[in-house]
Amino acid sequence: MRRYGGFFLIFFSLHAAAVEVIVNRGVAGTSLAQASARALFGMRLAKWPDGRPVQVFVLPDDHPAHIALCKEQLNIYPYQLRQSWDRLVYSGLAQAPIEVATEEALISRVATTPGALGYVRKVKQNDPVKVLHVVE
Amino acid sequence: MLLNRAALPLACALSISSAMAVELGQGVQAHGFLSQSLVYTSDNRMGGNSDDGIATEMREIGGNLSWRPGADWLLSGQALARWAGASDNGDLRLDYGFVDRTLLADGDTSVGVRLGKIKNPYGFYNTTRDVAQTRPGIIMPQAIYLDRARNFFLAAPGIGFYGNHESANGNLSWQVSALRPEVDDPDLTYFMLGRGLGHFSGKASWLGQALLESEGGRWRAGLSLGQMAMKYHPAAIDPFMAGQTRLPTWVLSLEHNTEYWSLTGEFSQTSVHSNGYGNPAIEQDNTTEAWYLQATRRFGGGWQGFLRYDVLYMDKHDRDGTAFAASIPIYRSFPYLRFAKDWSVGVRRDVGRWTWSGEWHHVDGTAWLSPTDTPVRTSVEKWDLLLLQGAWYF
Repeated sequence: MRRYGGFFLIFFSLHAAAVEVIVNRGVAGTSLAQASARALFGMRLAKWPDGRPVQVFVLPDDHPAHIALCKEQLNIYPYQLRQSWDRLVYSGLAQAPIEVATEEALISRVATTPGALGYVRKVKQNDPVKVLHVVE
Repeated sequence: MLLNRAALPLACALSISSAMAVELGQGVQAHGFLSQSLVYTSDNRMGGNSDDGIATEMREIGGNLSWRPGADWLLSGQALARWAGASDNGDLRLDYGFVDRTLLADGDTSVGVRLGKIKNPYGFYNTTRDVAQTRPGIIMPQAIYLDRARNFFLAAPGIGFYGNHESANGNLSWQVSALRPEVDDPDLTYFMLGRGLGHFSGKASWLGQALLESEGGRWRAGLSLGQMAMKYHPAAIDPFMAGQTRLPTWVLSLEHNTEYWSLTGEFSQTSVHSNGYGNPAIEQDNTTEAWYLQATRRFGGGWQGFLRYDVLYMDKHDRDGTAFAASIPIYRSFPYLRFAKDWSVGVRRDVGRWTWSGEWHHVDGTAWLSPTDTPVRTSVEKWDLLLLQGAWYF
């Protein structure tokens, strides 16, 4: 039974690594509650617990990493995120996340923007960003 | 030359391509939207002479700017021009413009205040009703989001307090606003009085909304509640005196979202309490009732389709309008002015920042048609409406 448990743990870890939430290295902490992650990516929360402003970077709606972020880390569908952004942005209640075209560009924007939050499928060892684990 | 002038802004707009927002510097963003519809009706009119051919006078164009100078401050403004047949002529106006200050943010809970001209939270869709991509169809479900009363409910100068709370079970957001509605609108005067010659002005009003989302928005529920008020300023010679009207109103909203389906229903009642007009017919208390149910299916590849049933009764105690028609001689043949039952089916395709839509309505009643487009005498009870729309936003 324990062997199966180990197997499931490995399987789960691989599965969870389909997309990783990344932040600028100046952002404190190592994990993020799923509710907070939804609020941050949903543009409902504009600052980190230490009071510094958040800057969200995203990939296009149909990018595999974006779909994986929504479904696996935030547990929502991409269309829902799009609808909440549009509702906020066109009534003036919040700003939109900044969209970049590629994961390389996203890493570079997150690395150079204080308070930045984003996601990529795989963070390499020497990428100048920090990974935050989303916990349910 | 004229063509070039027209083409230039369009070309600039398109060069933004699929960028999500235009960043104009640190903390500054710009967004915009436009749409153009084609309208055909079997009878009655919308967006121009839609019963004699294809009407094209239904379009909207808008743009907004926002600036976040720090984590706790946000300044937002949006300008809008809208054309809708004889009832809206494309005048450029301020859609909203306000300062937002976060008063408290401790991670999962935030509270703030907005001051200026603020969009009124009313049902799921009111705040962004002029942005085609955010609507549940080409036209809003008219029963609740009546275009005839649009300006009255859309946005108003005032102060609004808001809050947001995140938890593992869901997200609760709320807003309460004290406002003075903008009501100087010929459509509204017609809507309230029939043929008033004067104009209305807003009185102190309030609106509140609480929205609860659970499981990341799989379930969304909302309650909007408020009371709008206005007073009438008669013309020098006017059949009505300087009366006042209060409109207590509420909307209950519910939505279930799955990967492929969204099921949405909203129900509202608005009471009309008028006095001082010197006219017993106007001063009779009345409650309108409105609801719709919509099923939306996403097919993949940017395609989606919907089916909606939308019902409006101007007087919930006189749903078929017969008592109304019997009491006012000039409306004797027009009980159907007091209700509208609308079946609609539509299809939409999103391609990047573009959205192409088509929808067909079969309507029994004319309660939500603007009498400035469709005079009562020429109105027909049962009619069909075909709409096509192209829309773009960034």
